[in-house]
Amino acid sequence: MGFALKLLSTAFTIVLLLVAGCDNSGPVVDSNEVVSYGALSAKVRGLDPGDIGDTTSSAVASQIFECLYQYNYLKRPYKLITQLAQDMPQVSDDGLTYTIRIKKGVYFADDHCFEGGNGRELKADDFIFAWKRIANIKYLSKNWWIFDGRIVGLDEFREYTKTCKSRAEVDYSRPVEGLTARDDHTLVIKLKKPWSQITYLLAHLPTAPIAKEAVDYYGKDIINHPVGTGPFKLKLWHRGSYIELVRNPDFRGEVYPCEGAAGDLENGYLADAGRRIPMIDRVVLVLVQEDPPRWFLFLQGKIETSGIPKDNFNEAIDQKGVLTADMRKRNIHLRIFRDPSTYWLGFNMEDDVLGRNKPLREAISCAVDREKYIELFTNNRGEVAYGFIPPLMKAYDPQIKQMTKGTYNPEKARQLVKQAEAVYGGKLPRLTLSMAGTDVVARQAGQFYRRCFKNAGLDIQIDYMDWPTFQNKIKTKSAQFFSLGWIADYPDAENFLQLFYSKNASPGPNNFNYSNPEFDKIYEQIAVMPDSPERTELYRKAERIVVEDCPAVFLLHGVAYVLHHDWVHNYKPHAFGYGLTKYRRIDTAKRAAYKELLRASR
Amino acid sequence: MNRDYEKSAANANLPRGRSLWADGLRRLRRRRLAMLCLAVIAAYVLLTGFIYLAETFDWQVSVTNWDEKVGTEYEPPSAGNILGTDFLGQSGLRKTLYGAKVSLTVAFWASVISLGIGVPLGAIAGYFRGVVDEIVVWIYTTLSSIPYILLILAFALVLKGKTIDLGWAGLGIVELSGITTVYLAIGLTSWVGICRLIRAEVMKHKNQQYVLAARSYGCSNMRIIFRHLMPNVFHIVIINLSLRFVSFIQAEVILSFLGLGEKDRPSWGAMIDTARLELPKGHWWEMTAATLAIFFISLALNVFGDALRDSLDPKLRTQ
Repeated sequence: MGFALKLLSTAFTIVLLLVAGCDNSGPVVDSNEVVSYGALSAKVRGLDPGDIGDTTSSAVASQIFECLYQYNYLKRPYKLITQLAQDMPQVSDDGLTYTIRIKKGVYFADDHCFEGGNGRELKADDFIFAWKRIANIKYLSKNWWIFDGRIVGLDEFREYTKTCKSRAEVDYSRPVEGLTARDDHTLVIKLKKPWSQITYLLAHLPTAPIAKEAVDYYGKDIINHPVGTGPFKLKLWHRGSYIELVRNPDFRGEVYPCEGAAGDLENGYLADAGRRIPMIDRVVLVLVQEDPPRWFLFLQGKIETSGIPKDNFNEAIDQKGVLTADMRKRNIHLRIFRDPSTYWLGFNMEDDVLGRNKPLREAISCAVDREKYIELFTNNRGEVAYGFIPPLMKAYDPQIKQMTKGTYNPEKARQLVKQAEAVYGGKLPRLTLSMAGTDVVARQAGQFYRRCFKNAGLDIQIDYMDWPTFQNKIKTKSAQFFSLGWIADYPDAENFLQLFYSKNASPGPNNFNYSNPEFDKIYEQIAVMPDSPERTELYRKAERIVVEDCPAVFLLHGVAYVLHHDWVHNYKPHAFGYGLTKYRRIDTAKRAAYKELLRASR
Repeated sequence: MNRDYEKSAANANLPRGRSLWADGLRRLRRRRLAMLCLAVIAAYVLLTGFIYLAETFDWQVSVTNWDEKVGTEYEPPSAGNILGTDFLGQSGLRKTLYGAKVSLTVAFWASVISLGIGVPLGAIAGYFRGVVDEIVVWIYTTLSSIPYILLILAFALVLKGKTIDLGWAGLGIVELSGITTVYLAIGLTSWVGICRLIRAEVMKHKNQQYVLAARSYGCSNMRIIFRHLMPNVFHIVIINLSLRFVSFIQAEVILSFLGLGEKDRPSWGAMIDTARLELPKGHWWEMTAATLAIFFISLALNVFGDALRDSLDPKLRTQ
């Protein structure tokens, strides 16, 4: 007993000494190493690309895994270039067969799952395995939507997996007609119907190749053991607090882009042109979910980049919309860029009251003061939306403002309410707006909407709920109208159009349950068209049809403000790209100077 | 028996004795600070009653039109708007006054529920002892071992969105939301303290002569508990209630602050929750208004509760 106590007290003392020896300056690193520090605003759920559905996990996993294609880091409008593919795909005349050559000499990072611990060369079969794995119903991937109904034989493979008793029973060697490897470095994809957006999806993280050895070796624990071909490897992951990535020594030779968009040369984005990437040895990411401490860490120089929390906006940006003197003194840089996003109040078109009453929908649309909303809730970080295609997209219609009838006009709204009552045949019943979130910002937004609707003579109550309840309500078509939005996955307006296609009605992505045969016809036409001026014109035509039918009150398109310290070079905001740390360069001397500046100002 | 005694005392021209209550109230009236606090409490209660009446009969008074735009956004306190305006230009004063209704309603119903559970359970446990006592003690010991705020939060989350069938009361199916959830959660979790006190007090009284006399006359147990014991321990309920009323108001503030309270109408908790985000921008008035409103009612209830205890509890009578 006495010995056990002594042992325990000794152990306790050692732990105390160890803890006392720690400080908050982060991990001990080699002084010659270039380390990048960042913060994550949400927990990383897993690092298995096949099942990643959230942006935080994607942001980390994209440093480790690569896809066939990627976005050019500098060029605008956004353009795809090769990543693991040797060149852009060869497409057959009928648009149904894609032949993709894969780069030779690309190796998976060294890992215990491989024989001898040495990563092996990437093969076409690794893509086929990864995609069949997503199709495996026993794997329950969130990303089946990418391939659903697209590739010849893959839906049948999914049906086959339903007959298997467990994941382990699924035979991945079972052939799928639409996914074949002509040789180790040539992948052939056969589509059921033309699908011009496929290349964007091949730049999407869930389509990254997976080594079967890693899946077999780690089993379900694969989410904690990412084995990719990317510029970084996972070194340490304390779930819920800390992630550390280190440079992958076997990373294929990729270089910083030599060409950029207009103005990039003047802005210093081409200073590292042709230089081998990554230029950072270690990436340290800490989880800081609350805005205030994250902002504090940024000001302390402990993390390199930050958005601007709503509460700190005036601290960072002055009345003229530029950086405040304090931020300039700290040599902090501001980057502003358009988000591929649109936010709206959507109507359930199957609702008995709203669905059959266009004047009522238009009245609600005319009642909402978008500019005030943007001022109050986004610190003017948004543009008024007149349609659903964001200005960032090539298909954005500059004429859409003239087309829409639902711009803010309380007087018109009151007149439309009278028309709506005539259509309804009496006094309108109380309507319910469903909102996700029960926090103060959601409540303030609810109060704002109530004020707008009251001014127009509309009786609307707000129903606040948590996100799962909200989603359930939308999916079961039981919300009357709701506050929601969409951020595009890729720079093609088709990603927005699918939200209004009648066959995608809830539980699909068409939350409005909107149906218009004319729109459907155009959508089916453009879904198989390659990019062309004709297709762009059809996008705009489809948008006008939707705007005319008013299945939603289009509120705003997002504009993002990002800050970074001056020791971070090559920080160019990107609306679609993940895994961009490889392009960044850290000037450690400038970082030390900032610490001196802070010390001097104390 | 008591009536006969009173009659014979009057006949004998003896000085008329004062009851516990009359004596307590006489002592209370002598305390000026307590009476001032009572006036403050009465003002809050009257305000709440007035808001209820105004809403029921649709009177167009400014306090019920709290959502009216009275100025520009975030207007600091001025002669026109003495407590400033919020992000929509709504009057801080009107919202603060309206908040009294939510807070006092919650505190009132939470008190009714907690007394409705705690007093009978405590009395029965203290009177019967044995297995009944053990069961009651086990229940409240279990409940009190869970941190209070976490327990309220858990109850509030479980009750939220649930429906109860009040068809028997002519109310149909009622959905639990907003302040209904809040006072149910507070009431269902806060009866332990009063239950303990009543149990102990009943245990003390159950062998006193007046109880033994009632038993010897053949009174039933329920009659002894509720007709003889309860009037003699009820001052404890009153004192306890006046002190716990403050904690109920504070619990409402905490729940509203955590997003589980009133959503569409102003409450002090919701105002503090909102003001939390406004403070860094220098908009201090909403936080100040709600805090002052809570401060005055809390202070008044605490001072009055102390005075009430001093006046009603025979052991503490010093004057």
